[in-house]
Amino acid sequence: MITGHRLAAAVLALGCLAPAQAQDKPTLVLERLMKDLAQVKSARGRFVERKHFAMLNAPLESSGTLVYVAPGRLEKHMTSPRQESLILEGERLIVERKDKGQRRTFALQEHPVLWAFVESMRSTLNGDLATLQRFYEVRLEGNAGAWRLRLRPKEPRMRQAASEIRVGGSGTWVNRIEIDEAGGDRSVTEVTREAG
Amino acid sequence: MSPAARWALAAWIAGAAACAAVIARTEFSTDLSAFLPRSPSPVQQALVEQLRDGVVSRLTLIAVQGDSPDRLAELSKRLAASLRASREFAAVNNGEEAGFEKDRDLVWRHRYLLSTAVKAERFSAVGLRASLEELLAQLASPAGVLLQRLSAADPGGELLRLLEELAPATRPRLHGGVWFSEDSRRALLVAQTRAAASDIDAQKRALGLIQDSFAAAGAGADARLQVTGPGVFSVASRDRIRADAWRFSLIATVLIAAMLIALYRSVRVLGLGLLPVASGALAGVAAVSLAFGSVHGITLAFGVTLIGEAVDYAIYLFTQNAPGATAQSTFERIWPTLRLGLATSICGFSAMLFSGFTGLAQLGLFSIAGLVVAAGVTRWALPAWLPRGFTVAAVAGFAPRVMALARAAPRLRHALVVLLAAAVAFLLLRPQPLWSGSLASLSPISPREQALDRELRQDLGAPDPRYLVVVHAADEQAALQASERAALALRDAVAKGWLQGFDSPAAYLPSEAAQRERQAALPPPPTLRQNLQEAQKGLAFRPNVFEPFVRDVGAARTMPLLDRASLQGTSLALRLDALLVKRPTGWAAMLPLRGVSDAKAIADAVAGTSAGVLLDLRQELDELYRGYLREAQINSLLGAAAIVALLLAALRSPRRVFDVVAPLAAAALVTCGLLALGGHELSIFHLVGLLLVVAVGSNYSLFFDRAAPVQDRGRTLLSLVFAAVTTVIGFGLLAFSSVPVLNAIGSTVGIGAAMALAFSAILSRPSGTEGAYARAS
Repeated sequence: MITGHRLAAAVLALGCLAPAQAQDKPTLVLERLMKDLAQVKSARGRFVERKHFAMLNAPLESSGTLVYVAPGRLEKHMTSPRQESLILEGERLIVERKDKGQRRTFALQEHPVLWAFVESMRSTLNGDLATLQRFYEVRLEGNAGAWRLRLRPKEPRMRQAASEIRVGGSGTWVNRIEIDEAGGDRSVTEVTREAG
Repeated sequence: MSPAARWALAAWIAGAAACAAVIARTEFSTDLSAFLPRSPSPVQQALVEQLRDGVVSRLTLIAVQGDSPDRLAELSKRLAASLRASREFAAVNNGEEAGFEKDRDLVWRHRYLLSTAVKAERFSAVGLRASLEELLAQLASPAGVLLQRLSAADPGGELLRLLEELAPATRPRLHGGVWFSEDSRRALLVAQTRAAASDIDAQKRALGLIQDSFAAAGAGADARLQVTGPGVFSVASRDRIRADAWRFSLIATVLIAAMLIALYRSVRVLGLGLLPVASGALAGVAAVSLAFGSVHGITLAFGVTLIGEAVDYAIYLFTQNAPGATAQSTFERIWPTLRLGLATSICGFSAMLFSGFTGLAQLGLFSIAGLVVAAGVTRWALPAWLPRGFTVAAVAGFAPRVMALARAAPRLRHALVVLLAAAVAFLLLRPQPLWSGSLASLSPISPREQALDRELRQDLGAPDPRYLVVVHAADEQAALQASERAALALRDAVAKGWLQGFDSPAAYLPSEAAQRERQAALPPPPTLRQNLQEAQKGLAFRPNVFEPFVRDVGAARTMPLLDRASLQGTSLALRLDALLVKRPTGWAAMLPLRGVSDAKAIADAVAGTSAGVLLDLRQELDELYRGYLREAQINSLLGAAAIVALLLAALRSPRRVFDVVAPLAAAALVTCGLLALGGHELSIFHLVGLLLVVAVGSNYSLFFDRAAPVQDRGRTLLSLVFAAVTTVIGFGLLAFSSVPVLNAIGSTVGIGAAMALAFSAILSRPSGTEGAYARAS
């Protein structure tokens, strides 16, 4: 109920903020944002991820490419510091480490926490509000040019792993993902459009 | 009652009482021991043990389908809960994480005793460096988010490695927290019965419980339950054999009794006629019990059919009793023929008696003892008890017609030769083998049920019940050590791609030696701290961050070793109990294999460790069966030779021996041809049927061979026809059974007996000197 309430409040607030905006710059409500995101059939970008771990005295940085193909495929290919791929395909997550010749498949149904994590990204890209709200309380902040979804896990087990995930973007482009882990660890991923 | 009749009665009562006394103390078995060779090799022993009460044989696979996935998931949970509450099942698994926390906790606490990766070099500065670099790589990994919470106490990732090792390689998908098939149409459960698959009564109770629990779980109208597994199959097999045996013998009894009542017009005579068979059956069971110590279900189920010949004894006696003649004189006239027929039958059944297949040997002994006693009762009791002046009135009406047929029969000689040639040519020229070498051909389980079993097994990733490594050892520790050696070879085989995975008791409970070795490999805290410091140099880890690891390793070095008792209450205990079993002599460990692709290579690798042997259950069983079949075929040929020798000695004329043997051989050949034409692959029970054809048919051809006084010939012929009709009714009905064993015996004897009579008539000599019916009129 909290979700519904907050959503209503957010929609109301945003509606009040821009009651008479022109049609080429539509009002940013959650449903509208998700609908717009759902129009994107594929996207490709470079990411840089910084992970801050309590047990480490310096952040870990990694980078590579992100590929999204509607409706359910998401690939994260890390190229630095080494080759590793994460491929999300329907309800399966495949982790490939070419350097070790390893390839492991996880069924998301069996790993609820993992599932929640991947849906924060995939459901957002897919504009699938229903799935997103299955796992998270969703709040939208900002405007069409610079929006931010604040996702708070609903499942207690997921809350033990992450306290909040923030997905930021501009228009239909997701450019920043921040994950606050429960133990105080944190990761920030920035995504830029790949040139060419 | 005459003195002779009184003596006969006294002797019969004494004999029956003695048999009853033996039978009262007889143990009846229904397990697979009948398939165990009388002097089994260790592999065969292990094979039968596996089938009888191996782990995999206790798994019942359950599927619930026909409703929405959410409702099926709910049903699965309720069904599992009520099955878990019962005493019939050792474990019920449907994917719910019930008890998983306990498992995880146990594995976490004992990770350094359980993990096969614990070696001294992994805790050296160099080994730790490698672990820490790997940890860093995992933390950087996109998938690394989740594992770092435990890393401070487990930088080498022992827990994950163990959980991965202990979990089955392929698991069904989950929906609503329970297992589902790939297409989400079926919710899946696995229940492990406490009882072995061979304990059919317990399996039936377990099956009933599953069905009742499902009904009580409030399933919607469309939801359906499907159950499969070795236990389910053994229940279905027994029920089907029982139901068919009952149904068909009931129909046959009614038909035959109606026919005999119509002929005899006396209930007393009908009862007398059944006396030889009943006495023979009693004596057969007693003889088998005395010789083998127990009587198998197979023997009981088929033994009585095998002494069907004894029904004929009474028919011969009663039908051939002419008006005015005494039963004693009639008996004395036919006795030489019956006696020779009996001896012929004994020669034939000896083929079974000397079989290495216990079930067949029991059947052989049962038949021989039963026939001898039935003949004795016919000899000493029936003539004395038959009402004075009894005669079959119908003879006068039927005899002339039968005589006419017998006279006409020899005209078909050429046709018979052509038929015989056709049968031989067909049998020789058809591309398929005549005999089936697969034991599966005897299974009453339909291909559809077998397909369901395969499907569910695949859905569940349940072990293939076909392959497993078996280890025998003097004590529990030796069995665990041998399992560890075998597992080493198997891990190597997995890496080479010969199989997908395996399960081992030592994974849940390592041998004490292995646990001590692992404790010895762990460095004391000061050394470990030093090694860590060195390993951390230049890496981004904060100092002292691995203190929980140092503490846990320190505790593991001196903690009490893991034993059976410490697994109590976890699902690991159940899995261990299933894989490590105490036997009357020593201990046995089993390592079931999954996804075998190169059995030969695995067998060699396992044999190389001399820890155990790879069992290919299906192949071993088929091999065993083929061995029995070959042996039975050879014994049958020897039996045939013995019959010829016996007839030569008795008849002293090669020509007469030919006259007696030719119809039987022709009947056997044509029967084989007809069965093959009907699409049957012949099994060992078809062979038993052929032996029976020879036993029954030898009486026909002997009666044709023997000269009877002219006035008795019509009666003799008619008695043969009556005998053949009862045999064809009794066995022919079994041919309609869908149970392969019953069908095999029924169709073979039904066709064979009719052929034997017809061919005996056709091959009788119209102008011979010895016994010619055609000439007689």
